[in-house]
Amino acid sequence: MNNWFKSGSPWIWLSAGGVSISLISVLGLLWLIASRGLSYFWPSELYQFDLTDEYGAKTVVIGEIYDREKIPVSQLAHLDLALDPKQEVLERLLIKTGNRELVSLDFRWLLSHNINKTQTPKDLVVVERRTNGNFYGYIDSVVLDGKKVDQNKLPELLSRVDNFQDQIDDLQKSDIGAINYQLERLRLKTRKYELQNELTAQVKAEIDSEVAILKKDYAKLEQELMGYRSAIARDYIVMRAMDGQLVTINFEHILKVTFNNKLNVLEKTALFFSQITAFLIEDPREANTEGGVFPAIFGTVLMVLLMTVIVSPFGVIAAIYLHEYAGKNAFTKLLRIAVINLAGVPSIVYGVFGLGFFVYMVGGSLDQLFYSENLPSPTFGTPGVLWSALTLAILTLPVVIVSTEEGLSRIPSTMRHGSLALGATKAETLWRIILPIASPAIMTGIILAIARAAGEVAPLMLVGVVKMAPNLPLDANFPFLHLDRKFMHLGFHIYDVGFQSPNVEAARPLVFATALLLVTIIVALNMTAVSIRNKLRERYKMLEH
Amino acid sequence: MISISPKVLVPGAEPTIEKKLDLTNLTPEQIALDINQLNLFYGKKQALNNISMSIPKGQVTAFIGPSGCGKSTLLRSINRMNDLVDDCHITGEINLHGHNIYDKHVDVADLRRKVGMVFQRPNPFPKTIYENVVYGLRIMGENNRRNLDEAAEQSLRSAALWNEVKDRLHESALGLSGGQQQRLVIARAIAIQPEVLLLDEPTSALDPISTLTIEELINDLKKQFTVVIVTHNMQQAARVSDQTAFMYMGDLIEYSDTNTLFTTPLKKKTEDYITGRYG
Repeated sequence: MNNWFKSGSPWIWLSAGGVSISLISVLGLLWLIASRGLSYFWPSELYQFDLTDEYGAKTVVIGEIYDREKIPVSQLAHLDLALDPKQEVLERLLIKTGNRELVSLDFRWLLSHNINKTQTPKDLVVVERRTNGNFYGYIDSVVLDGKKVDQNKLPELLSRVDNFQDQIDDLQKSDIGAINYQLERLRLKTRKYELQNELTAQVKAEIDSEVAILKKDYAKLEQELMGYRSAIARDYIVMRAMDGQLVTINFEHILKVTFNNKLNVLEKTALFFSQITAFLIEDPREANTEGGVFPAIFGTVLMVLLMTVIVSPFGVIAAIYLHEYAGKNAFTKLLRIAVINLAGVPSIVYGVFGLGFFVYMVGGSLDQLFYSENLPSPTFGTPGVLWSALTLAILTLPVVIVSTEEGLSRIPSTMRHGSLALGATKAETLWRIILPIASPAIMTGIILAIARAAGEVAPLMLVGVVKMAPNLPLDANFPFLHLDRKFMHLGFHIYDVGFQSPNVEAARPLVFATALLLVTIIVALNMTAVSIRNKLRERYKMLEH
Repeated sequence: MISISPKVLVPGAEPTIEKKLDLTNLTPEQIALDINQLNLFYGKKQALNNISMSIPKGQVTAFIGPSGCGKSTLLRSINRMNDLVDDCHITGEINLHGHNIYDKHVDVADLRRKVGMVFQRPNPFPKTIYENVVYGLRIMGENNRRNLDEAAEQSLRSAALWNEVKDRLHESALGLSGGQQQRLVIARAIAIQPEVLLLDEPTSALDPISTLTIEELINDLKKQFTVVIVTHNMQQAARVSDQTAFMYMGDLIEYSDTNTLFTTPLKKKTEDYITGRYG
């Protein structure tokens, strides 16, 4: 036994055990997120339940099964159920019933005790809608131009509607958006001339004529838009709900009609992937509880990239100063300790600092200097993507400084001496020899910074993230990158959907799916940085003597 | 292949100079470096004590002595590499062309271009062989491709490396063997055409074959440059140098032509050292 301890085996077992536990928890977490998140996209069976409720009334419920749980009978004593006295637990099902125009709640619990009959009728459909959530029921009739048509024509009609809808979106987003943007710029221009007292009749006439042209274009586009709208607005389908009521759904509200129970595995798989794609590339709907998360993905990645662009030069310059130029005295030591300690400041504190310093002070001054025509409504004096990137850059600065310094101190002094002995100055040596050799270490710092910044949410809530941003920070309108705009972020999206939405139950799978996506994006960003670093490492590999 | 003349191999062989120089009485034209009452301190500790010597042009001068005697320190003073040591302090002067290199107005980078240096361990930069050789030229602002190519070939030929690397000039220098790397570093140093070449124990990290190659190379180099070499290997000093200076505890004990120093040393300490009684 004593020998066994001396041999060091217990420590090997201990450390191996530690590694295994960490690995298992990481994999377990990923598995949980992935399974919960991905199951959201799998087209589930549609059920029709025939029930007899506690009061003896017979009803029909149609929907998807979301969850099952067992509850002790004692909790249900007040319901006065005719139960076997030996039975201790009852199963109950969480059913998504949709049909918000008929019942106010999307979800409903059913006791399996009350269910007389469970069916999966082939004709049952789920209609995915732009507003009001899903509708579950049977198709009663399809009406085109006031005449009933064959139900089999539905897919064809829907794809036509889809086309129109795409055109409408296009018109609204790019064309009309661009005109609105230009009109806003002209308004600001007028205001600027007014402020400078240079608004002569001539200038005013020029601007007015431009406005007139834009307004004419606008009217034309609007007419076109109305044309598309009316083209799809006159057709509708009539649905029969679970209680036999007939409900009319206009084509312009329909996204998709699927007969889930008729689909085979291949079709389901195809639908599964098309749902995932839609999740990735579409905008959110219905207070973020439905639709895609594209703006959030875009915002997250853009913000992280901006942060990287800001933090890398500053971090590297600071590290070079600390390591190469600063005197080796107590003050430098103090500075270094301060930098390291900065990494330990809670992120929300950085958020408060960012709001106070960047948004109000810097942004406010920028507005007064350059955007006075827009006041009192702020341009940069309000949270936005630039301030978020800057705040996170400060937050991650210590990481970059510390790893760059470490890299600089690992470079053998013979490299410096070699360069200096050839008549290079210190700056030339740094630029041509030291920095390239230190670049893998710098990349390590940047990787750590990205990993930290991409997952950070708390400070962003103060300096730029919003629940719903009407425009992306990058678009086709000059100057293309709008650093003053607010943006959406996956981390905040998780918080918002999971805990702030009116329909938490419905949003739960979305939380998992978004979490999976956030993890994937952070991993992807990191992998990119790691592969760049490995390339650099290969290139500047030192022969370790 | 490099031919190694047996003459160089035999320790204490006939010196290669025909006419012995009078080291105490050189004409200004014969002097490459004139060290005058040089004292060097690391903090409070004195590492060099009042060294005065003249190093003749176009010859190989060796510094020998036991570890810690200050021979490397003296060598590093000549191109002011000691400036990089934080608390290093120097009095006295070293004259190059009659100008003190420790003068306030001297541009250190410019000085180091005139006085090149090769270190104990090969230290090629993690760049291609070609970029290593032309590094000094690029620093000087030379960017003409043809000039650089020419200089690279000439330097590599002078360093007896051209035939071995001419087909892989644009591969990493770190792929070369230790001996090749050291010759590359010499090529890099001579590419900028220095007047003086300082070699700080250039063969101590190399195998015997590479050592011989480098020694042969040193013999060739003195046709173009003044070479100052530090070595802990007395046979090497005897083989390659024209003059030898023996140092001990920061003092210059004896400085004379190599043959004299090894055959009839004047000082007891020198004799003890070269006969292996200490060191």
